[in-house]
Amino acid sequence: MSQAEALEAGTTPTARTAGAAAAPRAQTAAGFAALFRSELVLTFRRTRTIALLGILAVLPVLIGVVVKIQTDGASGGQGPAFIAQVTQNGLFLVFTSLAVALPVFLPMTVGVVAGDSIAGEAATGTLRYLLVAPAGRTRLLAAKFTAGLVFCLAATLSVVAAAVATGAALFPLGEVTLLSGDTIGLGAALLRAVLVAGVVAASLAGLVAIGLFISTLTGSGIAAMATTVVLVITVQILDSFPQLHAIQPFLFTHRWLSFGDLLRMPMHWDNVLQNLGLQSLYVAVFGSAAWARFSSRDITA
Amino acid sequence: MVEQDLPYRPRRRTALRVLVPVGVIAVAATGIGLVPALASDSAPSLPSVTAEQLVAKALGSDTQALSGTVQVSADLGVPAQLLGAAGGAFGSGAHGGGAGGSGRGSADPTAKLTQLLGGEHTLQVAIDGPDRQRIGLIGGLSGYELVHNGQQVWAWDSSTNQALHLTAPQGAAQHGERAKAPLTGAPTTPQAAAKLFLGQSAATTSVTVDGTATVAGQKAYQLSVKPKQSGSTIGEVRVSVDADNGVPLAVLVKSADGGKVLDVHFSSVSFAKPDAKTFDFKAPKGAKVTERRADDAAAQKQHEGAAPHAKPDGFNVVGEGWTAVLSGKLPGGQVSPAAEGKHGRSPVPQDAAGFAKALGKPVNGGSLISTKVLNVLITDDGRVFAGAVTPQVLQTAAGVK
Repeated sequence: MSQAEALEAGTTPTARTAGAAAAPRAQTAAGFAALFRSELVLTFRRTRTIALLGILAVLPVLIGVVVKIQTDGASGGQGPAFIAQVTQNGLFLVFTSLAVALPVFLPMTVGVVAGDSIAGEAATGTLRYLLVAPAGRTRLLAAKFTAGLVFCLAATLSVVAAAVATGAALFPLGEVTLLSGDTIGLGAALLRAVLVAGVVAASLAGLVAIGLFISTLTGSGIAAMATTVVLVITVQILDSFPQLHAIQPFLFTHRWLSFGDLLRMPMHWDNVLQNLGLQSLYVAVFGSAAWARFSSRDITA
Repeated sequence: MVEQDLPYRPRRRTALRVLVPVGVIAVAATGIGLVPALASDSAPSLPSVTAEQLVAKALGSDTQALSGTVQVSADLGVPAQLLGAAGGAFGSGAHGGGAGGSGRGSADPTAKLTQLLGGEHTLQVAIDGPDRQRIGLIGGLSGYELVHNGQQVWAWDSSTNQALHLTAPQGAAQHGERAKAPLTGAPTTPQAAAKLFLGQSAATTSVTVDGTATVAGQKAYQLSVKPKQSGSTIGEVRVSVDADNGVPLAVLVKSADGGKVLDVHFSSVSFAKPDAKTFDFKAPKGAKVTERRADDAAAQKQHEGAAPHAKPDGFNVVGEGWTAVLSGKLPGGQVSPAAEGKHGRSPVPQDAAGFAKALGKPVNGGSLISTKVLNVLITDDGRVFAGAVTPQVLQTAAGVK
């Protein structure tokens, strides 16, 4: 692994300019930027990450082709959301794909990246080299979390980009009919698609924090990834029981699909804002738990 | 960070750090617990009024235009699947038995609005006088719009991209009444819900002013409406009436045992005149439009005869006020609305009786389908008694012991 070298290459010049004693505190911003950059390079240079993004990009193509082949079938309201609109306007493939990818595919890829972030380093024995660098554990954790958020955005955008390309290739584009029956132009609709992508990426923030926390608990990357993904599935199963009505508003998956409310004519923000508030709550709780665990943990590998 | 410079005391440090997430959880929990409590605690001080003045103000409110978001939360104790099936049966012949909620084929308003009677729903409402209304039902990833503009009524379902278009051949006033019929099947606004209860006669109902409240940022009086008669399953109806213009902002129905049955309230409201464009609805591109004359629609509704508040032929009302009981013969077409030849008083069809038996529990004289509010007694000889009353009242009405 080259992350320790990359990190040192990034931090050494700034560390040298700062005073030796105050070095870890004085160069916070620049040091964090270097650490974050090295994390980003590490994440996105991996074949695994590129493969995950590739799988996410294939999904809209698959849906688009299936809808195109079955184009005669009035599905009678069955099937994934927005499917009735896709044949009218290719842009709706974006929303269909996101609605399909959000419950399973997106959290799975995020769980892999977030779950592996600390535990994977520990397993391969590179974590201690990272900690030798004058970066500090808190800052390393923050960099890992930020890189995880960037991956969420990249994953969402790869779905959106593939869906726009497929939709434009297979179906007509043009004026878009919103869920409230109003019609807006293609440009405004594209803006909404970008907004929706941002909201979807932000809804995964809570999961990144959870994955990071699980990752600090174990020294095995596979175990952390599996636990995170299993947790996502378990929570979604809990979310489907009517008997658990009382706790469901606090499950982090509960309002994931609220992005559809942005596709109405007066945008209906209530659920979206509740979702984002809940995500920031999860980030605060599990982020601080990850910090408590990681900053006091013995690094043995 | 700085901790590398301190003497290493792992156990104490761990204990201190664990306190941080615990503290975050504690702060979050208190915040979640306290914020609604603080918000609902603020009862504004308003000049006192009598109940009569307030009812008159609410019923005579001349506010013509408003828009806002309405939260409907109903817990009638009826399984959602049953409502879904019922909605399907009311609709244009869609086969019942699917999951209630999303993905039904028809854009028929009655079918959609029946869903409001189970679970929680959010509606966007815009009203501009008696001739122009728009109601948007916000589904998970779908929407359903009902737009009434003068001579025209549009209903559109985004999940199927199907639309229903009603046009009135005659005058708008006459049409307006018909067009609103599907809207009153389920209470889509606090106004509609309030009218159901405030119109009751003084002989059977006690109405008192019971404090004030803030609803959707508006100062409001609280009316408490209670049945004087015993035997009703409804315990109390609380209506919040806007202090300025008399618009009912919230209606809360409690059952006799104190449980919340129906809660319709504005979560945000504006009394500004909505943009005229709001009511200017055209069928979206590619929508499958079903054209219907308002007459045909009314006639068809008559035939189906299953809308909750429509009285089909052969049904009559026993008793009055809160303990009124709807009685009649079991219609043959309960399960399959396609069969229209139910005017002939044929003996109880096997499937309908079996259906009722399967749902209900056996009591003296028949089987009883019991929900939180509505009770239905189907006697062994095929008569049906229904009402928001206790089973004893139904049995008395049916003459069985």
